[in-house]
Amino acid sequence: MNRLNMKKHLFAIAALTLVGNVWSQRKIEYVEYDLPNGIHVILHEEHATPIVAVSIMYHVGSKNEIPTRTGFAHFFEHLLFEGSTNIGRGEYSELVEKNGGALNANTSQDRTYYYELLPSNQLELGLWLESERLLHAKVDNTGIETQRQVVKEEKRQRVDNQPYASFLTEMFARMYQKHPYKWQPIGSMEHLDAAQEEDYVNFYRTFYVPSNSVLSIAGDINIEETKKWIATYYGSIPSGQAINLFRDFENQSDEAFLKTYGIAKTKFDAKNFLGSKDAEAQKVIKKYSAMPTVIPRPERNEPPFKGVVIDTVYDNIELPAVFMGYRLPEQTNPDAYALDMLNTVLSGGTSSRMNKNIVEKKQLAMAAFSFAFPLEDPGLGLVAAIGSANVDLITLQNALDEEVKSVQDALISQEEFEKLRNGKENDIISAYSSVAGIAENLAQNYMYMGSTALINSELTKYMAVTREDIQKVAKKYFTPENRVILYYLPKPKN
Amino acid sequence: MKKIILSGALILVAAASFSQLDRSVRPKAGTPPTINIKDSEVFTTENGITVILSENHKLPKVSIRLVTGSDPMNEGSKAGLSKIAGQLIMSGTTNRSKDKLDAEVDYIGATLNADGESMYLSCLTKHVEKGLTLMTDVLYNANFPDSEFERIKKQNESALLSAKSSPDEMSDNAERKANFPNGHPYGEIMTEATLAAINKADVESYFKKVFTPRGSYLVIVGDVNKAQATEMVNKYFSTWKGGPVYKAELGEGQFNKGNRVIFVKKPGAVQSKVTVTFPVKMKPGQPNQLPLTVTNGILGGGGFGTRLMQNLREDKAYTYGCYSGIDITDNGSWFSASGNFRNDVTDSAIVQILKELDNIGNSYVKESEINLTKSAMAGGFARSLENPQTIARFALNIIQNNLPKDYYQTYLKRLDAVNTENVLEMAQTYFTSKNCNIIVVGNEEIIEKLKVFDADGKIEMFDAFGNVAKEVKPADITKDQLIEKYIFANTGTTTMKAANKVIKKVKSVKQVMEMSAQQIPAPLTMTTFFVAPNKEAMKIEMQGMMIQKEYFDGKVGASSNMQTGKKDLTAEEIASKQKSAGLFPELTYSTSGLKVDLIGIEEVNNTEAYVLKIVDGEKQSFDYFDMKTFMKIKSVSIQKQGEEVIEASRSFSDFKTVNGLQFPHTMTLMMGELGLNGKVISIEVNGTVDETIFK
Repeated sequence: MNRLNMKKHLFAIAALTLVGNVWSQRKIEYVEYDLPNGIHVILHEEHATPIVAVSIMYHVGSKNEIPTRTGFAHFFEHLLFEGSTNIGRGEYSELVEKNGGALNANTSQDRTYYYELLPSNQLELGLWLESERLLHAKVDNTGIETQRQVVKEEKRQRVDNQPYASFLTEMFARMYQKHPYKWQPIGSMEHLDAAQEEDYVNFYRTFYVPSNSVLSIAGDINIEETKKWIATYYGSIPSGQAINLFRDFENQSDEAFLKTYGIAKTKFDAKNFLGSKDAEAQKVIKKYSAMPTVIPRPERNEPPFKGVVIDTVYDNIELPAVFMGYRLPEQTNPDAYALDMLNTVLSGGTSSRMNKNIVEKKQLAMAAFSFAFPLEDPGLGLVAAIGSANVDLITLQNALDEEVKSVQDALISQEEFEKLRNGKENDIISAYSSVAGIAENLAQNYMYMGSTALINSELTKYMAVTREDIQKVAKKYFTPENRVILYYLPKPKN
Repeated sequence: MKKIILSGALILVAAASFSQLDRSVRPKAGTPPTINIKDSEVFTTENGITVILSENHKLPKVSIRLVTGSDPMNEGSKAGLSKIAGQLIMSGTTNRSKDKLDAEVDYIGATLNADGESMYLSCLTKHVEKGLTLMTDVLYNANFPDSEFERIKKQNESALLSAKSSPDEMSDNAERKANFPNGHPYGEIMTEATLAAINKADVESYFKKVFTPRGSYLVIVGDVNKAQATEMVNKYFSTWKGGPVYKAELGEGQFNKGNRVIFVKKPGAVQSKVTVTFPVKMKPGQPNQLPLTVTNGILGGGGFGTRLMQNLREDKAYTYGCYSGIDITDNGSWFSASGNFRNDVTDSAIVQILKELDNIGNSYVKESEINLTKSAMAGGFARSLENPQTIARFALNIIQNNLPKDYYQTYLKRLDAVNTENVLEMAQTYFTSKNCNIIVVGNEEIIEKLKVFDADGKIEMFDAFGNVAKEVKPADITKDQLIEKYIFANTGTTTMKAANKVIKKVKSVKQVMEMSAQQIPAPLTMTTFFVAPNKEAMKIEMQGMMIQKEYFDGKVGASSNMQTGKKDLTAEEIASKQKSAGLFPELTYSTSGLKVDLIGIEEVNNTEAYVLKIVDGEKQSFDYFDMKTFMKIKSVSIQKQGEEVIEASRSFSDFKTVNGLQFPHTMTLMMGELGLNGKVISIEVNGTVDETIFK
């Protein structure tokens, strides 16, 4: 290499290092505040693309269900597209599409999330749509019946007809004795069938209330204007139990309302409910506004997992498989970062240890993987493999154990560590490339990570993980004497 | 008391500020936003590369797309060369094996891929040096290893096999040939013959010719400034050398005088794929492009609200979906509208599509229609901008097509300005219902009903690859003669008496075949059994594990597979089995009650063959017999199961004599997307057969 080239090279490195530093200083800016009725608002303004993500995250998931009514949280993710007092049945998605947007929703054990991605000049529409869903969605038998069929079809497609797909249900059921994590968000179709309209209405009244929601908006917005619209559409949503007073006002007959509240509906102003002039009405509104909605949350009363549970599941599969579950800490635990990186070492990508050793070299498995279910309450980590033909499951299990043990026994190599960090950095940075991703991340961080600000320190936290940390969490959580082992075998023929 | 008044006042104040809100009123959209796409920096290098830099520092990421500048080339007898070459570019270099290359890309968390005309890198800014090292290693030193060349060719052979049973591909091929005939590269379709003609040297010379710096574009998007980009280009691309860029005037396609109906046979089809298509005189970025796209959006551009969907799906229930689209490229543009329709409404569907093409040019579209399309387009456009690749594409389009710098900045405003008058004008200028190619892939039975659509009443027949299909010639023998000759050829005899003697001697046949497929990790073993007079069985195993089994013992039978368990044959299935049982079911065709017709002589697998059609209720099959040897070289069976149509096609070759009988030793089986290549491992005649297989 001659001198000139060397200099060029150095220049390039210097230039690029500088750029690297720019990243670590780049922050995702946001403002957050609470509305008087308890809605937490997070706004992120960026004008790179003329679109906006409007989302509401409700702090309700399958863990808030009662054991005889499982599947409710997920069911609502479907039901709440049926419309509202001011939105006709089926009109929800039509309105979004007609205005150039896209929408979707999803449910976990811990929360339910709804969002629209719209051209930024349709922000107000998005705010109105979500406020309608929160204030007075249609929860009635027509919608319930329609969505029962849809959800059943979804379960057939996603769970029943997918080989091995029952492992989540089977694993969580054995890992938890008391905690509602023992059932899956998809829940029981029998429960959904058995439930009456009243059960659904009560679920809505309990969990779909202002104080249980985070309104997160990211994209091409003007913060001041957005705040004004939020005050209009969300500030007008009654607080406390007054929201259910309002819902009853809209839905109940005169007699029923009078019976419940001891005041005639006519005393209220239908067009301006909170501003009803009648003194008696104001008194009732005030009384119910002050009455907080109590959100039932499960206790973290699950005893630590001790011993080994071994079971066999017969499924419509061709190749046997083994799934091993370990108890992991709640996702706010500082160990969570190292645990995530441990999973990547074991099975992230084609050059990961499990894939290289178990799938490619030893050819014991068609696929081998490990992943964590980070949850609000203590969750679960999984190490699993689908065997190659004619491989017995004990051999396969031993091979998996060997990989875990190798991380416990020795530090991962420096090179492997670098690859890990590079990949993680790329993942985290790419996750912030879309406003939809930012909106969800902000809401999630506020709702259960304890701090919205975490969005700007996530990478730092990952980069602070050492090789020793990875070894430490491998030893601490992946103990062979405390786990669930599930063997999956093909259903016996004929 | 004071307290109460105060809070009451507060509530009134609060209420006052909300009293304006009438929730039943839907918010109106604000003014359409303008797009913040910064102007790109453009500069050229000494070796002829146009560098387009679109700075975007939102994320510390960079993407670099290298787009070659050549026009599509004529590939003639080697059609498909650019595709094969593209699939091979990432197969390794003189410095790095494919595995090593993949691993190094992985290490920096990057994406690096290529096709026949371009290469693409995306990574974090801080890894761009390494990324470019890998990218340019491929660009300068790709070495196309033999093993990968063979693998890719095999993969394409399978793809071509499945193309023959895919109505979409057949229709697409015919469409390209019809709109762009006479050697236009768009109309050149890869066939088995052209694929076979491609050798490694062709790929190497293609790569060398197309991947030349001259006339190429390097689109850099993301977190680099001009100085850094210049530095990168100098360091990695200044030593790149190559020949001249290939330019050609390719024309605008062939415009018909009158409608032309093209039919592609899909024996046994229960529905037809209809495509109405014609070339369009339009280049990217011309002022009419946007209003024309809106016009197409209203006609059938997507969603449920379009005219084609409303008419053919919602109103007439002819189809699940009917869509139209316009492809606009520098080397030719075309319109097409298509859908799948039941056999008996195929002609009615064509009537309606042509009617909609007329209607949209006859009167103004409704405001609600144009608004729906414009909103959907605006939203899609805006959302697409989040992807940095979209920005890269825009930047490139501006340069390649000489568009105004703010072309995409003003897109939404121009879109908003499109009105119903523009739409009417576009429809009248570019759409036609009188000079179309009407392509139908389907069942021959409906062909008579299509003649009315053709200007001269003569329907052209294309094959699966868009070539003029060899005509079906009338057979020169009867079906009984054919079956007799087939039996003679198989038994090596010349009289039925002698043939029967040979056949009678056969007490059992056990054949083991190894089947392999791209989609299946390990080869399958298929074993078939025959025990005279009419017992038969088949099992498929993968590495010793039973996957599927079927048997028929002359009276009853069953089929079982891992997924669904065992199912006994129904009375109908037993009846059907009995009709076609025996070593040569053809012998009992005349008495079995099957409907058997000798259709004529067709070319199949490059061989002239007699085609025998056998119908048994809902099930039909087509058997093809080599005209010269009388061997059965192909058999296609089509069966309806509920709403689903299951089609299986088997081709036979490599016939050898075993115990006086002819057996094919090679077989290909196509079922939907799945293609299996089978080779006979052993054939045992009159050995002992373990009778448990029939249970």
